[in-house]
Amino acid sequence: MIIKPKARINTSSWTDYLYIAPAVLLVTTFFISSIIYTGFLSFHNWDGFSSMTFAGFSNYILLFKDPNFRISAMNTIIWVVCSLVVSLVFPLILAIFISKSSWLTGFKNIFYFPTALSATVGGMIIVSMISKYGIPQLFAMLGFKNMMQDWLAVPYVNTFIMIFMGAWQSVGLNMLLFLSGLKNIPSSPIEAATIEGAGTYSMYRKVIFPLLKPTTTVVLLMSLVNSFKVFDSIWVMTKGGPYRSSETLALTMYQESFINNKFGLGAAVAVVLTVVIIIVSYFNLKSTFGDNYYSV
Amino acid sequence: MRVVINFILAILGITWLFPVMFTIFGSFKGKMEYNLGNFWDFPKHNLFSENMLTAFKMVDLSNSMLSSFIYAFSGAALSLIIATSAAYAISHLNIKFKMFWFMIIYSGTIFPFQIYLIPVYKEYTQLHLYDTRLGMILFYTSICVPFIMFVLRNFFIGISKEISESARIDGCSKMQVLTRIFIPMAKAPLAIVFLSQFTWCWNDLMFGLTLTKTPGIRSVMAAISLLGKSNIPLLLTGCIVVSIPTIILFLLLQKNFESGFVYTSK
Repeated sequence: MIIKPKARINTSSWTDYLYIAPAVLLVTTFFISSIIYTGFLSFHNWDGFSSMTFAGFSNYILLFKDPNFRISAMNTIIWVVCSLVVSLVFPLILAIFISKSSWLTGFKNIFYFPTALSATVGGMIIVSMISKYGIPQLFAMLGFKNMMQDWLAVPYVNTFIMIFMGAWQSVGLNMLLFLSGLKNIPSSPIEAATIEGAGTYSMYRKVIFPLLKPTTTVVLLMSLVNSFKVFDSIWVMTKGGPYRSSETLALTMYQESFINNKFGLGAAVAVVLTVVIIIVSYFNLKSTFGDNYYSV
Repeated sequence: MRVVINFILAILGITWLFPVMFTIFGSFKGKMEYNLGNFWDFPKHNLFSENMLTAFKMVDLSNSMLSSFIYAFSGAALSLIIATSAAYAISHLNIKFKMFWFMIIYSGTIFPFQIYLIPVYKEYTQLHLYDTRLGMILFYTSICVPFIMFVLRNFFIGISKEISESARIDGCSKMQVLTRIFIPMAKAPLAIVFLSQFTWCWNDLMFGLTLTKTPGIRSVMAAISLLGKSNIPLLLTGCIVVSIPTIILFLLLQKNFESGFVYTSK
């Protein structure tokens, strides 16, 4: 009987750790230390030049009393809720339509194209389109003279405009995911349901949507987390204005730190934002790793 | 029924592409022409190249484009090497505490990027890496590592251990198993992650804006964000110019996108 030299193959040596060393080193230096440092900084006051002074919880207390923070938190919630609806419902309907159309590749590419542009570029295009001489001018020509102003300068209206602009760019990706989810649905349940006489409506409700659940979960959680982090497009469109009325938490963090030079306060905002995202991501992680835990 | 669907999609499609057409037409106009003229006017002359030259001069766009390209390319390439080795080790080598190392590296994707902004800014100013090309390359490399490692580990886990074991019996070193067997097998996910990370780095605004200040070192998105709203055609021309690399990538990879998503989910 031949004894396989398994011992030689499966021993680990210290060189194995060299494979993960650079990755761990980079991540620890840049990210892990940053997380700890931001937490630390949130309990201090620092303007960027002079030395830090300990501030205890005062930054957090200040934050919850600050009307800007409350507006920002509310805007963030609006963003998240609207993004959820927009990035689930519309891409799904689009995907269903496209899968039944005559020109699948073409429509697919048309709707995905804006996603290929950066959020900065997308934001600037929309800014140009609805600035004073763009689309508002169109309405003015039709007789609505008072519409001819900068729509992005109107508080709360501008938030919804920005959300729709975000949809223009983000719908494409989710639409693709739903398309491939739809394509991968096995045909046997659908055939069985047709034989049993299911109409279109109940076909969708009882067969197709449940089978799409894995895709829907991925899209939902991805969009949820991303909607908290939006920065580029809002910064380019309104910079959080006018008078900081369209800020979300991500922008408030930037504004307090780099514009108001209150790094401690900005760090506190970052911590609050992170805690919220972690709570939301917990469910994401649970579903991704729930079944895979023992296979590492 | 199909006709109705096609019709609806066609209308939606036109609405979708409208901003793009608007951008292209607008970039041919001049500033005065745009402000004083009608929204729906076709451009009178071809001022595209003039707009382009102004944009290049105003924010040193040519150096910015070079910088962005360096950052995106080296960020994606370096992190590819680093992350793939880590993924290989976690999936096929005998390391203790695999899950722990995995979570450390993966945690880079869980937290919002905003939380890294202030500390990295402070570290960089103290280490004199602020506003340097090296600093930006280091940063973008680190940002790309977690996601690439996640995807490649998913892929490697799917390769049965017998393949690497029989190669080792035949005398391969662990490194050779990685470079001669696993990496050729992983061409598809490697290509996809390289391109998705390149695009991410190219499109980044927040870090490019915060960690640099010299026009030539700045990343391309930060540069055009500073063009201001007064000269709209200039802005639109800038948008077109900086989008060209990512659009080219998008066109080259259309077919691979869908299969690529398989690797990014469970």
